[in-house]
Amino acid sequence: MILPPLQYLRPRSVPEAVDLLSRVDGSTVLAGGQTLINMLKLDLVAPAALVDVHRLDELRGIELDAAGTLVIGAAATYREIAESPLVREHQPAVSTMAGGLVDRQVRNRGTIGGNCCLNDPANNFPPLLTALRARFRSTGGPIGIRSAEDFFTGTLATALAPDELLTAVEIPALPAGTVVEHAHLQLAADSWAIARAVVRLDVSDDTVSDARVVLGAVLGSPLRLSAIERALVGRPVDATLPQAADEAGALPIDTVDDLHCSAGYRREMAHVQLRRALRAAVERSTDVDR
Amino acid sequence: MSTDEDPHTITVSVDGQVEEAVVAPRTLLVHWLRDALDKRGPKIGCDTGNCGACTVVWDGLLVKSCMVLAAQVDGGSVRTAASLCGSDGTLNRLQQCFSEHHALQCGYCTSGMLMTAEDLLDSGDELTEAAVRRGLKGNICRCTGYHNIVKAIRAADGQDVDQDAGEHEG
Repeated sequence: MILPPLQYLRPRSVPEAVDLLSRVDGSTVLAGGQTLINMLKLDLVAPAALVDVHRLDELRGIELDAAGTLVIGAAATYREIAESPLVREHQPAVSTMAGGLVDRQVRNRGTIGGNCCLNDPANNFPPLLTALRARFRSTGGPIGIRSAEDFFTGTLATALAPDELLTAVEIPALPAGTVVEHAHLQLAADSWAIARAVVRLDVSDDTVSDARVVLGAVLGSPLRLSAIERALVGRPVDATLPQAADEAGALPIDTVDDLHCSAGYRREMAHVQLRRALRAAVERSTDVDR
Repeated sequence: MSTDEDPHTITVSVDGQVEEAVVAPRTLLVHWLRDALDKRGPKIGCDTGNCGACTVVWDGLLVKSCMVLAAQVDGGSVRTAASLCGSDGTLNRLQQCFSEHHALQCGYCTSGMLMTAEDLLDSGDELTEAAVRRGLKGNICRCTGYHNIVKAIRAADGQDVDQDAGEHEG
């Protein structure tokens, strides 16, 4: 057998899951398992017990609340998210990303909650959800809801306590005129990213009223580029935005050489993706206007 | 803490046959299918979830059985490539197309390819060449270069693949 000895527990409800997580020493959440099971094979993690939450209906829903917030259950799979008409209509960037993750088989199992709780720098959802000002709802801890900035705390780390369970990701409605664009350099189609950038522009009267600029695939949590965000606000939405971003200063990217590329190459590619995402956002915004 | 003394009893329909078994919690689905049930369809290729040779259908969903625990499928149903042909061994349409279009060489990836191909055919999606190639992203073939696999799947979809230029053996 490849996996280390472990206990497999399948709670029938969210409260039971939280109870198991707090009572069983060394227990951890098993959602889709598309990363966790591989990490177990490689002895990268050694939980004594897996608490399987994947079948809990309470964690699988995708709904729009009265305020227009899209509430995605933490155990909703990439495929369920990609195929949801609600997601497509209200958060098209989330829909597109979910439909392009990894491959057909993994999209049937992998979950948005697992993707976020792992917070692997290469993961797709953390930077996008940071740009979308998503909130992370959990149970079993003192804090029931966190902003993306509070939730993602570093490379492979989140603010969740070991006995806390992420239950839903809440994505607030986009104001009219807001555009969200994503650009990445991947090893292959639907594959591992070397560099990733997400740009969100809130636009009123053809002017940037608010901006989120986030890099992924670099060390730490999704990297918000606050200096660039500030530099963009108040500017007209036109082809000068990438230049304005460049003038906000060097990108504070923390990264290392790895199997796929050098740190220097990743820094350069992050800059390229940022410019592409900005240009795409400008084009999309102009399209929306017409 | 060793907990393998805490085995799970599972009941699973595998290729239409109800199987009851006792498994250690750490048993991967692919190992249970192969070692306990002698199901040779799912292959062990990479053990890391990349190659797709172990692809099966669990409760109607295409999955890689090296990234699922046997204990997880308790109460569900699993289909392997053995479910595709008739009980007398007659190949189904997709399998015939794989044969006619030489969609395999060593054959190691084939049963996983067939499961993904069936899933693509059942999806109702328009199976353009690009759509098929993207759909096969989770299945690696190191012999064929995918060309004939794509062709076979499109043929099984009812497309006239023999008219495609430059695709004849030379």
